Amino acid sequence: MGHLRRPRAGAPRLGRGRPLTAPAAAGPLVRLLGDKLGDATSELWTDEDTVEVQVPGDKIVDTLRTLRDDPDFGFFFLADAAAVDYGVGERFEVVYHLYSDKHPTWLRVRVPVDRENPLTPTVTGLWEGAMFHEREMYDMMGIVFEGNRDLRRIYMSPDYRSFPQRKDFLLPDDAADSPAAGNMPLERPETWDLTRLQDAAAHRDEPGGPV
Amino acid sequence: MTTTRKRPGAEKAPAKPTPKRASTRRKAAPADDEPRIRDPLELEAALEAAPGDESLRPETTRPEFYGFDIVPPPDRPPQTEREREVYTLGDGEMLVNMGPQHPSTHGVMRLVLKVRGEVVIDLDPVLGYLHRGIEKLCENATYTTVLTYVDPMDYMSAMHNEHAPALAFEKLYGIKAPRRAEYIRALVVELNRVFSHGLMMGFLALDLGGLTPILYGFINRDQVVDLLSSISGQRMLFNFFRVGGVNFDVNDEFLSRLGKWRAGVLDTIEMNEKILTENEIFGARTKGLGVLTAKDAISLGVTGPNLRASGVPFDVRKAHPYPPYPELEFDVITQQGGDTYARYMQRVAELKQSIHLIDQIVDRMPHGPVQAQVPGIIRPKPGRAYAAIESPRGLYSVYAISDGGPNPYRFRMRDPSFITLQVMPKLMPGHLIADTMAVMASLDPIMGGVDK
Repeated sequence: MGHLRRPRAGAPRLGRGRPLTAPAAAGPLVRLLGDKLGDATSELWTDEDTVEVQVPGDKIVDTLRTLRDDPDFGFFFLADAAAVDYGVGERFEVVYHLYSDKHPTWLRVRVPVDRENPLTPTVTGLWEGAMFHEREMYDMMGIVFEGNRDLRRIYMSPDYRSFPQRKDFLLPDDAADSPAAGNMPLERPETWDLTRLQDAAAHRDEPGGPV
Repeated sequence: MTTTRKRPGAEKAPAKPTPKRASTRRKAAPADDEPRIRDPLELEAALEAAPGDESLRPETTRPEFYGFDIVPPPDRPPQTEREREVYTLGDGEMLVNMGPQHPSTHGVMRLVLKVRGEVVIDLDPVLGYLHRGIEKLCENATYTTVLTYVDPMDYMSAMHNEHAPALAFEKLYGIKAPRRAEYIRALVVELNRVFSHGLMMGFLALDLGGLTPILYGFINRDQVVDLLSSISGQRMLFNFFRVGGVNFDVNDEFLSRLGKWRAGVLDTIEMNEKILTENEIFGARTKGLGVLTAKDAISLGVTGPNLRASGVPFDVRKAHPYPPYPELEFDVITQQGGDTYARYMQRVAELKQSIHLIDQIVDRMPHGPVQAQVPGIIRPKPGRAYAAIESPRGLYSVYAISDGGPNPYRFRMRDPSFITLQVMPKLMPGHLIADTMAVMASLDPIMGGVDK
């Protein structure tokens, strides 16, 4: 077994515990964000190849449109859109990762979403490709995207009731350790039923009536 | 006719009771008034006996086809505007299921086609047949174990599946793999790309009715998989990457196999090329079919060879290079057509480019350790990390959040074939049902990755 070369004594512990520093290349982007989107963005943070900002939900579509259409930004490509659950009593977060050929870093835009009332505007008007992302977020987290014209479950069946990637959806292993062991509270329609929100969104967009 | 064919029900049952054993084995004969489909020989004999009696022919109220099943619209009100649009039938239109087990869907997926005659009017992909909740499982696993969970996601590119999480976790933990490990990673990843693209050539031909190229594709795949199993120990789900390095260093068996494979790899590929590239029938079936414009492709989030076949030079290895790609020489290949044929040509070109990259990697591989020192259970500081790589199907990225515990708080994977599937309703209207398979095969989605 001579080829099973395990780490030797001299193996480098490269950069362990190294502080996160702002890359020099991100400087122009950070300045641009301050100049053009200073009032919409907050909590700027950078790591080695990402610049991160937080944008409130009511300004997200305009901000993303500026980022996409402004030739100085040039973030024309939506690389990823994901939802994060920060736990019961906290908040949801929708995270957009954008790519630009003018800046050498990814741009991460975080949008906080109320956990009790998980509504946020859709960005399918900017990128059609956000459709599957938003359908997945709706399916897995239960975030309702206002104005999305195809907000259906994408992985689970249409009659499924709960949202598996929420942090209070426990896997059976964890449920055994939880205070509610034995109850298996995996599906709680009374808390996860979002039809009221959908109805409200539908009424808002279509004066003719609910879809 | 001296002998008559025995027909159940045509003759009177024998007066004496049949032995019990025989009656349990034999299926009960259908009653005379029960409608049933006659078998063809029986029908032929009956028509011979009574020529011109068309009432003998079975009534075809519900035509059935191989692989297709006519579906009624769902028996519930449509949930969304788009669903109503797809499932409302106009004059002369019907809904046809392609899948979930149709061979051309490359996994388990269902396409609901709205067709008028043989022309596709609209299309709705129905996913989730392979959904395993890998993201949730990974959030309940330690960082090291996550790398085993992601393997079966996109099973055609298991090495790429491990690459992005490994990079993201290293970024979270503030560690870097040694240079030799980076080169070994690039080597196995490019080998994986070779067999993935080689199989795509075969599957495209298979879906168009040509059986031979898939055999050459699998010959090539078997050689590569043997190679990778001699370095990783496993044939399909390699589990080769570790946080901070790779599991094994390259060994003599691997290197000798690599040399042998490299000497003959272009044979199978050129064999496929000779069959397909200049083939008139293949060209007639694929050229100008399913044209995806650059603008649409960007808006729909298409990445990888499908995007580059539309003329957009976006390759993560160049756009956000991860080591060792900045040290290697290669160009971003693009095609101009954007059609099925261009996507095929793009795969062929990238396959050869990967072989070129493998040559460079082997030439320049540095010496040194292949694994940095990491503890058995990794607990990164709270933070966020995003890592993207170029998989054979496009931009594959991982967004990981750590809360300081031994498992990732949030583990998000962006699978390129999942997003690429959205172009199907854009491309297909106006084309034939048979062309759906060609376009699907040229987009090369893998359902294990789509459904996660």
